Amino acid sequence: MIRATLIAALCLGSAAQAHDGKVHTTDAEAAAHAASVPAGLPLPFDLGGAFTLTDQHGQQRTEADPDGHLQLLFFGYANCQEICSAALPQMADITAALAAQNINVTPVLITVDPARDTVEAMAPAMAKLSPDFVGLTGTDAELAVAYKAFSIESSLVFVDPASGPVYAHGSFIYLLDGDGKFITVLPPILSNDRMIDIIAAHAAQQSG
Amino acid sequence: MFRQTLTCGLLAVSGLAAPAYATEDGTRITITGEFIDTWCYFSGVMGSTDSVVGTSHHTCATWCSAGGVPVGLLTEDGKVYMVLKIEGDTNNNGGDTLLNLASDTITADGLAYERDGLNYIVVEKVVSNAGITRLSHEDFGAIPPFAVPEPKE
Repeated sequence: MIRATLIAALCLGSAAQAHDGKVHTTDAEAAAHAASVPAGLPLPFDLGGAFTLTDQHGQQRTEADPDGHLQLLFFGYANCQEICSAALPQMADITAALAAQNINVTPVLITVDPARDTVEAMAPAMAKLSPDFVGLTGTDAELAVAYKAFSIESSLVFVDPASGPVYAHGSFIYLLDGDGKFITVLPPILSNDRMIDIIAAHAAQQSG
Repeated sequence: MFRQTLTCGLLAVSGLAAPAYATEDGTRITITGEFIDTWCYFSGVMGSTDSVVGTSHHTCATWCSAGGVPVGLLTEDGKVYMVLKIEGDTNNNGGDTLLNLASDTITADGLAYERDGLNYIVVEKVVSNAGITRLSHEDFGAIPPFAVPEPKE
């Protein structure tokens, strides 16, 4: 198990180079290719829907962003040492970078581990990531609504003696509009720059 | 043995469990390629792309898949399709089928999509499976080296 964690940590411990299905030797080359490719056809998903959960401040939060911002949504858990430990900081970094471009995005985590991700536990975990990060938890029934909306399943993989239960769960990041409507999916292996380019393009479409 | 242990004991499930698919937008294709660990392939953290395919990276690829890293299908021309779904699995990354296919070279029928400059595929049928065909350990050993433990003396 420790070996698994080590391998996963090494695998996940570094930022991905820019790419988009092809290996690019430079970020400039990747950006040029990205700019040449339109958003493309919709993916074969019918994802998204209404949910009501509780944020890390104890306030109710629905799929809609209160300020109408775009949203980056990820299903995981605050204690996750695997893919979340790469995806969540990346979401925070991307949010900050986009804010510098006057593109407001709210990063949102919906927990798959409500037993540990209580309101009280999520508050400091989200604060460590970013003051903008929203952590959502709820009852099993409330969370089931959100999982169903995004076709999310999770399962206990094993219990790490050091960090506790380890769950497998989806690793894609979903880009939603301010109303909570699904826009596109972002694999967490993309570089920050590549994600920023994609989100900025969709932000322009949304406002255009 | 290691692989069987993973498959039987640690399997993880996750992701897009049962998305509603609108097939009319996809392009039907038949492609041959290797199931790769997309994180290590694109990040460069483990070295060159040649070293993170095939036998040298099989253990890490399996663990990364179990850990939620999306799986890709690397074709002979270097194009990578992110695998959205594959026959036999109701889930996306981490499912039993994807773990069993880690590092294997398969021929697949499916629906391809392009979105945001990325290539995606829903694998409807694995037509054939040649197993692990790249014997990359001959050039690179195990990547990372600790993925394969030294035997106890």
